[in-house]
Amino acid sequence: MPQGYKKSGSLRKVFKKMPGGESKLTYLARNPSVHKCAECGKELKGIPRLSSTKAKNTPKTKKRPERPYGGYLCSSCARKKIVQEVRRS
Amino acid sequence: MYEIGRICVKIAGRDAGLKCVVVDVVDAHTVLIDGQTRRRKCNVKHLELSSQVIKIKKGASTKEVYDEFKKLKIDVRETKPKKAAPRPVKQKKKSSVDVKSKKADKKTDKKAEKSVKETPKVESKKEESKTVVSKETNKESEKESEKEIKEESVKPKVSKDSKSASAEKPKAVKTDKK
Repeated sequence: MPQGYKKSGSLRKVFKKMPGGESKLTYLARNPSVHKCAECGKELKGIPRLSSTKAKNTPKTKKRPERPYGGYLCSSCARKKIVQEVRRS
Repeated sequence: MYEIGRICVKIAGRDAGLKCVVVDVVDAHTVLIDGQTRRRKCNVKHLELSSQVIKIKKGASTKEVYDEFKKLKIDVRETKPKKAAPRPVKQKKKSSVDVKSKKADKKTDKKAEKSVKETPKVESKKEESKTVVSKETNKESEKESEKEIKEESVKPKVSKDSKSASAEKPKAVKTDKK
């Protein structure tokens, strides 16, 4: 029987092949889900699905698009916001 | 609508939210812009117009645009043009050659000594030993000439540092391929 913490839903089962030829069971952490737009809920592009420990070592420009509201709003929602700001002033 | 001197705001791209001026009209769809944004062509759909119009020549340079923007109290980031860096040159791997060079050094030293004894005007440098060897091929028999041709093919690989070797390389390589 596995240990209690290994039964949690935050881990997933993986069968790995050992150098001797046998395959053994290991438990790995799951990756975060796809990031979504704050307004419309569409899936955002240009954002890798990294855990917090791996995201620390990646540079900032490789985690989000180089655009105002990049990583927060999708491209169409960001355009609407900028147009509203221009028309007010 | 999109006339020369019209101030716009860019909507798309990493320059979004910055002000710019129409400098030239290219098509019904494209326009040349400059200002807070980079100087480049832009699609008309990615611009939002404003009511201001400035007096500018067609195809004005960036300095003239910056002077006009400073009068309107718009902050502009001034940059110097960069020189294009030279293309990186691939360097050939020397690890495979160094093994052969050690063996070749022994052979060349032996035969260089022979060439030294035969001719009076010879110095210790490898460059001059090659010229001596090349002259001797015409005089000596075919067997010795074949050996020396192989030496010539090996020698230029050995002394890559000397620039004269590069001139002699094509001669030696062609004989080996045959």
